[in-house]
This record gives sequence, C-alpha cells and structure tokens, in this order.
Amino acid sequence: MLCEKCKIREANIRYTEVINGVATEHNLCSHCAKEMDFGQYTGLAGLFDSEYPIGKLLSQLLGLGEGDASRPAGKMENLVCPTCQTSYGDFVKNSQFGCPDCYHMFDLLISDKLKQLHGSDTHTGKRPAGKETEGKETILEKPLSLSERTELLRSKLKEAVLEEDYEAAAAYRDEIRALEKAAQKKGTKTTAVKEKPEEGGKEASLRESVLRRETPPEEEEG
Amino acid sequence: MTKWYEETDQMHDVFVMKRLRLVRNIEGRVFPGRLSGEERLRLLGELEQNLLPLGEEDKASYTYRRLHEMDETSLHALYERRLINYSRLEEKAPAGLAVSPDESISLLVGGEDHIRLQCLSSSQTLDNMWKRLGPVDDMLGERVPYAFDEKYGYLTTFLTNVGTGLRASVLLHLPMLSSGNQFRKLVQEYSRFGISVKGMSGDSNENFGGLYEVKNQKTLGQTEEELIALVSQAAGQLAAQERKVKALALRSHRLQMEDEVYKSYGVLKYARKLSYKEGMTYLSQLRLGLCENLLQSEKPVNLFGIMLNIRPANLKQGRGEKLEGDALDEARAQYIRERLPEIR
Repeated sequence: MLCEKCKIREANIRYTEVINGVATEHNLCSHCAKEMDFGQYTGLAGLFDSEYPIGKLLSQLLGLGEGDASRPAGKMENLVCPTCQTSYGDFVKNSQFGCPDCYHMFDLLISDKLKQLHGSDTHTGKRPAGKETEGKETILEKPLSLSERTELLRSKLKEAVLEEDYEAAAAYRDEIRALEKAAQKKGTKTTAVKEKPEEGGKEASLRESVLRRETPPEEEEG
Repeated sequence: MTKWYEETDQMHDVFVMKRLRLVRNIEGRVFPGRLSGEERLRLLGELEQNLLPLGEEDKASYTYRRLHEMDETSLHALYERRLINYSRLEEKAPAGLAVSPDESISLLVGGEDHIRLQCLSSSQTLDNMWKRLGPVDDMLGERVPYAFDEKYGYLTTFLTNVGTGLRASVLLHLPMLSSGNQFRKLVQEYSRFGISVKGMSGDSNENFGGLYEVKNQKTLGQTEEELIALVSQAAGQLAAQERKVKALALRSHRLQMEDEVYKSYGVLKYARKLSYKEGMTYLSQLRLGLCENLLQSEKPVNLFGIMLNIRPANLKQGRGEKLEGDALDEARAQYIRERLPEIR
C-alpha cells in the first residue's frame, strides 16, 4: 500500500486516531509520519529522529496509548499529597506539583519520569548555604570506621558529662564499650558500621510496579 | 539609565543576548499555583516583606511593581522585554516584579514558583552572569529558607525545572544558517544533547529576524557550571556554523547579499509604515550587513534594542498612546527612521 500522504513511498506505519470515539485510520510512510502532527506525541523529543528505529517508534506509540500501561497507574492517580491536596492525577493532567512535599509523596512515581526528562534523578549542583553542612554529614556517615565512631562517641560523652547529663553519658559509655568489644573481636580490621539492608529491594519492586510513561507538556516559558 | 539591551558600544556578531534564570521555592510552603486568590495575595505580601528590597548590596535601586495591578499593554511590554513569561500574560493572580535600573536583574515573586530570578545581558558571558546571579540567589536564600531536597535539589512546581532550577540561554542571530534546508535537522540533533534551539518568538512561522534561542532542556543531574558550559558550547558551535555559511555566501553571492542589505536599509530609511514582520526582516538584513562590513554606519547602533522596542506593546508604551493597525505601523516606521544611523 502506498502512503496516503505522499502517494510515492510504501506505507509502513498505520496510525489510528480516536477522536470522540470515532476512529480514523492513516497509512503513512515513515517520512510523512515524521511530518505529521501527532498531537501530544510531538512533544517527545527525538521520537521521529531519523535514526530512531521504526519498531521502537511503534512500541512507544502503543505504550503511550490506552494500553496496559494505564491500568496499574489507575490507583496511583488517587494518591493525594496531604500538605496541598494535589493528587497524582492532577499532576499527570497539568504536570504541576503543589508543594515541596509532593516530591516525597510521589517519590517513587516520578523517578522514572525524571530519568526520562533529565537523564538522571539526582541533583549534583549548588545547595543552599545552610544545608551545606547537613549534606556533608550524611555523606560522611556511611564510611565511618569503628575507630572513628568510638572517637565521635567519646567526644559526645565528654560533652554530656560537661552538661551533667549523666543518663546520656552512661548510654554513650555503654555504646563505646560495645564498639570496643566488637573491634577486639574483628582484630585491627576497620569495618563500616552496619546499615539497614532491607530497604533497597522494597523500593525497587515498588518502582517496577509503576510502569507509567506519559510526557507532560513542557512548561510555558517566555 | 540605559537598559542592558540599549548599550551601543559593540555589536556582538552572532551573539545577541544571554539569559540565566533560577527558580526557587520556600521550604514547607504550598506553591502559588495551588493557592486561592486570597491566599496568593497573602503569600505575595509575605514574599514582599521578606525578600525586598533587593539590591542593597550593589546600591542599585530596584523598582518594584505588582503585576496584577498593571494594565495589559504594560504587561505585554514586560513580556516582550523578557521580564515575564508568556503564561503570566493570561494570569490575573497576584505576583510582583522587582527590576534593577538597567533591567538586567529581575526578581519575580509569587508566579508559577515562589521565586524566579533572572539575569539578562548582551555583552557578558554566561559564566560571568552566573557569578553575578549566584550571590543574589545566596542572599535571597538567607532571607527565606529554600525548599531543597538532598536527592532532587531545589524543588519546583514543574518537573522540568527541578534540581538546579537553572535555565541558561543564548540568543543567536542566524539569518544565513536558518534559511538553509538543513537547519531543522541540525536543530533536532541538538535535542539529543539536552539542548533546545527555538525561535525567539516560539512558533517558527512567527519567528522573524533570524533570532534563535539555545538553551538547556535538563536541569537535574548536572551542576550549574556544567549546564552553562554545555549551552555555551552549543551556542558557540552554531555561531561558528553561521560564520562559515556567511563567509561562503559572501564569496559566491556577494553582489546579491550587498543588494539585499542596501535595499533593507533603504526601506527602513524611507518607509512610511512598517509591520512588525517587515521591521524585523529588514533590521535582520541590516544587522547582517553591518556585521559583515557590507556597509558601515557613521556611529554605533544597537539594532537588537530597536528590535525589542518595535514590538507592539513596547512601541505603544513608548508613545504613550493607544495605537492600532496602520497608526501602529506608521509609528514603527518613524521609530526606526529616527534611530537609523547614516551610512558611509
């Protein structure tokens, strides 16, 4: 079949448009499909790039349509941010978040979208002046060795004694003893303090269950 | 005071304008878009109280206006001068704008996000502009706690801004390159590197004068410096391409180019009415001619400044009149005539 638009090349894309329940079918060649206005899909940068394999293009179109992808997300749309009452459905509709807390509320849902938009989901740039120390502390916490940790506890113990907070001081003392015992058992090896290991797996499986890809309209910018 | 776009000391060849924009929000506070009119007004009052006055550091006295109390022409004029977003034109909700005397630094409060900080310049590099804007950002951050997340960075209304909240852009004059058939393809290639190239007036059919804006699409995962370097590099590449095409055309079609440039000058000098499209098209040709020394002006002239001031709302505002249709085109022709330099 020839492409219905140029009537020169062979049609290799069938595009079904459903407007108000009326379906119209178009048979196009890849060249003319590139020229066609596919409504919301044109926002996808590089979707019709010449190097984009046609098969991938089709699967993208199907994935974006009313296929299976929308079903698991149905429940998610009713998720509501307690701070500003923005639901995930609202966000999908106008691609606007309502408050900073939305980022935590919809954390797992936006991770994929962020990677799609930015190629990353983690900030590496500037941080506000006040948060600088906070950030560094959390970075330091993980690789703390046993000896470093006892050192830290000792200084905390000193502080507690100076403030005459003997209850806290006793707790620090016990912790230091426990750590020193552990250090003796393991010899001179310096090992990192154990962290809760279960969290990662849970997060990953949750993330997998949310396989929804919709492209938000780009925000208006003058 | 001379505005940043009215500086005439030098013409920067392909580079016309540079822009940096930062978006910030306040910790624990609902974004403006989610508030009712009354709540937004209250929020605006708070922002004004906490963030203003600006510019105590550089001793510049900023002017502050409430946007929702302004008339439509003045708002449009601000949009044409890049001080507010297009979406802001439709918006009647409370917001305020503080602008430095030369309009190079501006702060919009209560818009889509709590804070939108911007720097515009025709002569400085993006690097230098970042050095100028960064401290203003820090100062505002000391006055109000920013919404910042360890993982996502600065939190914004739109996911397209989250992370650095930074949009860096360079406006290029590409009259030769953009008239070629390959231009659209070239532009598409850039999107693969996280760079978007768009006409200054958005829609390609409405984009007169060969002005194109190069900006970063991504805001998360790269540092501000990396994003700025990326945009600078992409803009530099496009500028180099334009120069190449210009040199090529000058060698093979010099007479034709000279003819077009001189004809444009003639039209601008003698026309009695000019539409925006005509004005932009001929000014673009003239700019090309001046940059390439196809003709020389007696004194330095800033054509981009004229280009901004002949946009409908700015023209109306400058004349202080209600001009429509032919009267507007007549005023535009007159405006250009009065500012057009003599040529040698």
